Amino acid sequence: MLKEKYADRIAAIFAKYPDKRSAMMPLLYLAQEEYGYVTPEALGEIAALIGVDPTQVRSISGFYTMFREEPKGKYWLQVCTDLPCALRGAEQFYQELLAELDVEDGGTTADGMFTVERVMCLAACDRAPVLQNNFHYHENLDMDKMRALIRQWREEAGQPAPDAAADSADPDDSAAG
Amino acid sequence: MTENTVTLHIDGTPYQMPEGMNLVDAARIYAGIEIPIFCYHPKMEPVGMCRMCLVDIGFEARDRATGEPVLNPDGTPQVRWGRKLETGCTTRVTAGMHIRTKTQAVTKARKDILEFLLSSHPLDCPICDKGGECPLQDLTMRHGPGTSRMAFDEKKRLGKHLPLGDLIVLDCERCIQCARCIRFQAEVVGDDVLAFHERARSLQIISISDPPFDTYFGGNTADVCPVGALTTVDFRFGARPWEMENIPSISPHGPVGENIALGVRLDRDSGGVKRVKRVLPRQNEEVNEIWISDKTRFGHHFTLSPDRLQTPLLRKRGELVEASWSDAIKAAAKAVKEAGNRVGIIAGPMMTNEDLYMLRGLAGHVGSRKLGVWPPNLGDPDPVAEVGIAAGSRLTALGKGDAVLVIASDLEEEAPIWFLQAKQAADRGAHLVVANMRTTKLDRYAGHVIAYDFNEGVDVLNGLTAAAISHRWTNRSALERVNGYDELTAALKGTRQPYKEAAEAMAKARNLVVFVGDDGLDPEGHTALLRAAANFLIITGHAGQLNNGLVPVWPGANTQGAFDLGFSSENTRAMLKNPPEVLILAGAPAAADPAYAALLDRVETVISLTMFHNAAAGADAPTTAVVLPIQSFAERDGTFTSAMRRVQRFYTAHGPAGQSLPAWEAVGLIGERLGMPRPPRSSALVMQALTEEVRLYSEMTYPALARVAEQFPPIGASPDFYGGATRSAAGGTGIAWPSRAEGRGKLTVKAVRAPEGVKPGPGELVISPVRRLYDRTPEFYTATLMHGRIPEPFAAVNTADASRLGIANGDSVVVHVAGAAVHVTAVVDSYAPEGVVLLPLYLSSEPMPLVPLAGTVEKITEPVPAD
Ligand code: SF4
Ligand code: FES
Ligand code: FES
Repeated sequence: MLKEKYADRIAAIFAKYPDKRSAMMPLLYLAQEEYGYVTPEALGEIAALIGVDPTQVRSISGFYTMFREEPKGKYWLQVCTDLPCALRGAEQFYQELLAELDVEDGGTTADGMFTVERVMCLAACDRAPVLQNNFHYHENLDMDKMRALIRQWREEAGQPAPDAAADSADPDDSAAG
Repeated sequence: MTENTVTLHIDGTPYQMPEGMNLVDAARIYAGIEIPIFCYHPKMEPVGMCRMCLVDIGFEARDRATGEPVLNPDGTPQVRWGRKLETGCTTRVTAGMHIRTKTQAVTKARKDILEFLLSSHPLDCPICDKGGECPLQDLTMRHGPGTSRMAFDEKKRLGKHLPLGDLIVLDCERCIQCARCIRFQAEVVGDDVLAFHERARSLQIISISDPPFDTYFGGNTADVCPVGALTTVDFRFGARPWEMENIPSISPHGPVGENIALGVRLDRDSGGVKRVKRVLPRQNEEVNEIWISDKTRFGHHFTLSPDRLQTPLLRKRGELVEASWSDAIKAAAKAVKEAGNRVGIIAGPMMTNEDLYMLRGLAGHVGSRKLGVWPPNLGDPDPVAEVGIAAGSRLTALGKGDAVLVIASDLEEEAPIWFLQAKQAADRGAHLVVANMRTTKLDRYAGHVIAYDFNEGVDVLNGLTAAAISHRWTNRSALERVNGYDELTAALKGTRQPYKEAAEAMAKARNLVVFVGDDGLDPEGHTALLRAAANFLIITGHAGQLNNGLVPVWPGANTQGAFDLGFSSENTRAMLKNPPEVLILAGAPAAADPAYAALLDRVETVISLTMFHNAAAGADAPTTAVVLPIQSFAERDGTFTSAMRRVQRFYTAHGPAGQSLPAWEAVGLIGERLGMPRPPRSSALVMQALTEEVRLYSEMTYPALARVAEQFPPIGASPDFYGGATRSAAGGTGIAWPSRAEGRGKLTVKAVRAPEGVKPGPGELVISPVRRLYDRTPEFYTATLMHGRIPEPFAAVNTADASRLGIANGDSVVVHVAGAAVHVTAVVDSYAPEGVVLLPLYLSSEPMPLVPLAGTVEKITEPVPAD
């Protein structure tokens, strides 16, 4: 339970706002940090902390792309494909990224490493294609840079690319995404 | 809104109107000009979300240097038009404003907005329940483009049959994102259980409360939804709006007297009998405005329940068997005749004024005055006749500077519409004081919450009155017509005054409405509380003023009518001491209370007039000799008197269940056999006779009750304009009889003390009955679609008591009280006050007393044998 585990942080969050309801977004971040995504239970926990119906919390978590309501991979890659970015090749970049990771739009790789999704404007239109990895920005990307980043993240996670295996991927794996 | 009158020019024509009204209402009400809308609703704050109401707005130009108006060559003021169109719903009328509603720009804007809204709309009108009364359909025909530039396969596909709770089904594709449903729940009700999820074209309405869409008012969202996105489970695919006749009616559930319309139609498989397809609110700003509770909307299904008693029953050789009306009437008349003046009557909460009038006529004929009302726990209602809320008052008028007191009542459970109205009065700035022995939802909106101990409600009110007296918050001119003031002052000397601020707010309020319930009270306590409330209203000068007075939260739809016709709870109780020989149970579930179940065994003969032949109505009593099937409110016409003393008329909607008759007619037939004159031929004639005999009702003839008071804003009048399925006030808005305080005569105050109350012995607790909106009375429970919303039988036990008794939340317990054993689940929390167990009425089928008594609660350790 967030309430017991993070009592101090929660108190500090509430102290920042005159109205408890305003603490909803920071609490959603906290829940996402704790559980990996905004779980249904987390919605109830936050609702109880603030004193609103869980429906209101879900409304906020559903509105913002920063919150995820389904389990996600260790790395959460969000690519903007809105119009300005698309003009700088973001759409094609996104498609290539999906192919590289062998994952569907919005899906998670079979090994649970990467969740890839498209989002609306990340406010970095002039440096597109732009990607957020767990809220860290990577700008002016192309696939070479991207492959390097992927390798780096895999290594960080202690899961080097299963190079040969990637080609002969079990067809069932895609269903898991 | 200020009272300033200003001139608004609409399309060049000047109209006079109050300053500050929004342009949509202003144009419609003062000029009869339509500005189309979707998201705006006159009962909610404007939000400007849909952009349908765009108009051209301009102001009369003034010379910057001189401040003088700039004139055209022809002498008319020059108007500076805005550069873009603005939303009429969020713009308020000010002096010198001009608007244009017919320019090319406006016409194009409407067309564009509609094309946009329809770009992702399924256009499934032919199978949509809203078709025929759909603002989107109507406004598209009137203002929309004939064709769309959007190809169908690019439309967003979303869920089409998503249950939002048990009662409402959502079609996401039809939703135009106006947020009326969400705003209704948040603003009007205060149950924030609906919200948007996702955004843009993926946006959908969600509810994840537990249970989903957890509210008593959800059906209203289907009314205000301007499209077919929200439908009720019982009407979905049930009928087309134009096929139904809308029969004006009155809710038979609860004291509010919600004005409703029963939409009836002949169904292919209904065997030539019309059916109620849906219940809609009927506008009455002095009663329910345009809202109804889900109990009223969905509970009506009881009228067509297969459990309804179809034929008279007669006891033959020990068994109750089907019989003809003539045999049954003969037997009933014989029993009554033999008993003579030892006939007693207990009339239930759905007996109409016509029924009651005939019953009292019958009693009068045999010389009996035993006219009892069910339930038996109510006190003396005279304070209502003296200082009841003034006729013509509106709770919607209450706001800043006004005050509302709710005492001994959980308004949400007992009178949901008054809950909404008290809450909204508080939202508008009225000072709300909620005084109870337990927490209620209304506490959230209260300026003062007074939590008193069991049986101390009278002390609270006395304390408020004492504070008003000692601080001279009394009203001098009002005191001139008061008898007994000095005695009251003397009696209250030294009374504790712990709630001074609440007393001051109430006493000094411009308007004060006091709701008095019977929660936790025995009859003496109830009598005292009503009187104590009257004292406060009288000495502070609120009695007799418009929008002021006492509102008793009676349990039944026509409890007030029964009182008006001389029935009383006291008479009912007297029968326990002095049992009649023949007891007529008229729609009274008397055997639901063990004391009265025993009474049934002690009388010689029970004659039961009932819609449902069940244990509560005497089915198990061997003394029950005759059972007569009576008609529900939907099968006949009649009148109910609301707890605000408004006599309201309802009309026949469909044919009778089996051979059932209106209760008045059945009673008339008995009387006729006893030599009384032939019964009147129609309820209108019964009412005619009633008006001639009962002074209070002298005005209440059927034609008078059918008169319609003007409604403002007129919401039901034009369905596509305000986008509600609400019906207009057709059929009559009823007449409230004035309280004595509204006349000139003297008023009397009288000191009252809390009665002794219940004194639990060692090991005992107070077992206090509680009224819940959803219960298992057959007049509700046979509406099977509501079953998921009715709680299992429970008893609320205070945490401290529970730990002493070794009871945990969720334990099976048995409550022993007055010889009854009620098996329930324990709900342990701080909701129940310490020392008091709250036992909801009619949740369990086991009899339980209707007044608080001492008893015990025991954990059931053995598994309960299945029955
Ligand atoms: S469901 Fe109906 S009322 Fe609710 S937002 Fe959609 S269109 Fe409006
Ligand atoms: S549109 Fe892609 S970052 Fe702004
Ligand atoms: S924006 Fe005015 S009615 Fe919707």
